[in-house]
Amino acid sequence: MLETDLHDLSDDADYAASQQQGSTTMMRTDSGRGSSSSEHEGAEVVYSKENVTIHPTQFASERISGRLRLIKQGSCLFITWIPYKGQNSNAKLSERDRNLYTIRGVPFTEVRSIRRHTPAFGWQYVIIVLSSGLAFPSLYFYNGGVREFLATVKQHVFLVRSEEDANTFLVNDFQNPLQRTLSSLELPRSGSIASAVSSASVDVSPSNSERRAGEDSHDERSRISRYGGKQRHKAQDPARDLPIQILEKFSLVTKFARETTSQLFRENHNNGFSVAEMRIQNQSSLDSPQTSSNDLEKVTDDSPVVQDPIQFDKLTLVWGKPRQPPLGSEEWATFLDAEGRVLDSTSLRKRIFYGGVEHNLRKEVWAFLLGFHAYNSTYAEREYLQSIKRSEYLTIKNQWQSISPEQAKRFTKFKERKGLIEKDVVRTDRSLSFFDGDENPNVKLLHDILLTYSFYNFDLGYCQGMSDFLSPILFVMGDESESFWCFVALMERLGPNFNRDQTGMHCQLFAISKLVELLDTPLHNYFSQHDCLNYFFCFRWVLIQFKREFAYEKVMHLWEVLWTHYPSEHLHLYICVAVLKRYRNKIMGEQMDFDTLLKFINELSGHIDLDAAIRDAEALCVCAGENGAANIPPGTPPSLPLDDGSYYIQQDEVL
Amino acid sequence: MSYAYLFKYIIIGDTGVGKSCLLLQFTDKRFQPVHDLTIGVEFGARMITIDNKPIKLQIWDTAGQESFRSITRSYYRGAAGALLVYDITRRETFNHLASWLEDARQHANANMTIMLIGNKCDLAHRRAVSTEEGEQFAKEHGLIFMEASAKTAQNVEEAFIKTAATIYKKIQDGVFDVSNESYGIKVGYGGIPGPSGGRDGATAQSGGCCS
Repeated sequence: MLETDLHDLSDDADYAASQQQGSTTMMRTDSGRGSSSSEHEGAEVVYSKENVTIHPTQFASERISGRLRLIKQGSCLFITWIPYKGQNSNAKLSERDRNLYTIRGVPFTEVRSIRRHTPAFGWQYVIIVLSSGLAFPSLYFYNGGVREFLATVKQHVFLVRSEEDANTFLVNDFQNPLQRTLSSLELPRSGSIASAVSSASVDVSPSNSERRAGEDSHDERSRISRYGGKQRHKAQDPARDLPIQILEKFSLVTKFARETTSQLFRENHNNGFSVAEMRIQNQSSLDSPQTSSNDLEKVTDDSPVVQDPIQFDKLTLVWGKPRQPPLGSEEWATFLDAEGRVLDSTSLRKRIFYGGVEHNLRKEVWAFLLGFHAYNSTYAEREYLQSIKRSEYLTIKNQWQSISPEQAKRFTKFKERKGLIEKDVVRTDRSLSFFDGDENPNVKLLHDILLTYSFYNFDLGYCQGMSDFLSPILFVMGDESESFWCFVALMERLGPNFNRDQTGMHCQLFAISKLVELLDTPLHNYFSQHDCLNYFFCFRWVLIQFKREFAYEKVMHLWEVLWTHYPSEHLHLYICVAVLKRYRNKIMGEQMDFDTLLKFINELSGHIDLDAAIRDAEALCVCAGENGAANIPPGTPPSLPLDDGSYYIQQDEVL
Repeated sequence: MSYAYLFKYIIIGDTGVGKSCLLLQFTDKRFQPVHDLTIGVEFGARMITIDNKPIKLQIWDTAGQESFRSITRSYYRGAAGALLVYDITRRETFNHLASWLEDARQHANANMTIMLIGNKCDLAHRRAVSTEEGEQFAKEHGLIFMEASAKTAQNVEEAFIKTAATIYKKIQDGVFDVSNESYGIKVGYGGIPGPSGGRDGATAQSGGCCS
């Protein structure tokens, strides 16, 4: 019925090349052109479909067509997708792109699920999600054949329809709850996209990336397989608990991957900072001990034992950058020219996004991030600005300092504001030594700056939560006037959080609900059914940008990351989504109602893994892409207000 | 922790009247003059005994500032009891009681038991609201009333327990359909930890007002 594969694969350049590299390759058979009857040593094509195409970008010209096959070797089923040679006229679609997307013999033991999409108009396609939590790009069946494809898969591997979604088929899903539980116990971590990515991948340091840029892609693959070849076991499958629909979104990542890769090859690496890159490995599970517990139940119905040790080296997906050490003084100096200008603010912001800033450098860097100093200002200009602003600050401060007790008696609003601030500054971070003890001068500074701000921006005034924002700024800047102006700059963006009518807050909570709807529809539906769509349980997160959720040092780190506005001004909203997603199974599994959910979220304080949250958020932000941005209403904080002036007009009614 | 009933309480009132301190005094039996101001809501819990029945109080401590009222209103839902707190040394906090009460009447269920608390009664020398005025206000609006001090713990225990006793009596009198959770009451499972009991167990142990 079907031709044998040695010949068939040998005429494929990639296959030939990989053989030249000396790696033992799948489908190698001793029987040469032997018939399909020798299936225990040989391989058999059980399905083949032409014109199966991926759409790496929205441009039709950049689509890549190829041949999709299912290949059976021993009791193992593999999937391959090899793009056609020279089919694409677009020069940009080079060998590299082909290599990036080619699927070379991935065993179904590595596959978690297949989702079928049958749009009313357009081609049917499937998304294949790997148990590592990542997905191949959508495969569009231009010649039809999705049903046949699934039917063939079903003949050879254990395939069940998901209870959640009739179009999703789980591969090797454990029906026995006990086994499911047992296997989940083996997970080192579970539920996190970031951990799924990191545990299944090999971190490539910048120096490696640089080196690799000049290397032949085949070298690259074989090297990567040396790095990771024996590391990952099938049993460690942290993505098991991830909902399919989330994972599936990661097929979008290939677009990102492609862009990132091409960027990688373009970029100069003279700043020691190269594009995020993480290679995802798909080693054969055959490398793993066959006795790993996840494989146990499969052993019962068919044995996956294959004699030939097979190596697969894949270059399928690229992912966001691992967190880096914070920016230090020496590196910071390389961003400045002789007169102190920041030459490339984008690179700087990117660098800070991925690693934050060493504490002793924060005083200098925060003033830029917050917008008090312009990136292209010189040392001299900054010094001048500081002196001007200092006297301006003192002038405003003097406005309230000069109010006499007699005048104050007739100035209720002032008295109320002052009273409120006095009450709150003694309830702000007093457990820190910087603010502790009676008569602490820094508490007085908090008070003076907040009261001065309430005169500088009389319409907005003072609202609880502001002292939470000011505290780390004062802690870092030290200087009263500089702290004030940095706070002013921050409030330019986040002032709407404190609008009396809560418009700024509602805007952000609304955006979170839209992002969850986009990125985790089942969770959205759950919230909808449980009357939780107001997202008030995220209120504290958003109001003071997670200030109460992390230790002080972590908060400073998070804020400088957020202030880079890279890759989005609204990354904090993606962090909300990321944290919710991390706990989505618990939330839905325990059927939390609004009250329970609110309490649960409150009690997450101090238990959120910040680095993981940032990476998840970055991934989600990239995945959501323009759709995500489109779901955030214009002017949503911390975007600068659309219509200056009308923002703070409100009734000041201080209780 | 097993309980016969779980009551949801909400503590409301102007900022700085001592809501969080009352809660901490009740759950942890201590006074902490230095603590962070409340953003949004904080939770506390404690077991008490009424009529030999273990009753768990789950207490929602809300932010007092006016700006947050729209958020605070969503917390009233399903509260069996409310502690409406003012500061006897600050007249304006007493003056605002009517507006708080209006919020409570509008957003809570009609059978919610409200306890009016004049806090900081240890500061008698700075008193700006007389006990009689408090009593009068409570009487006019059908509230239970006590003056208390989170600092000295005077009447704190009593305030929470008396509220619970009132709610308990309403249950005995058949005012509530206890199977309807919108009244802020959950029925426990005698000696066996129920689903709610299990879920809230950890909080009952830690008890603090700050999470």
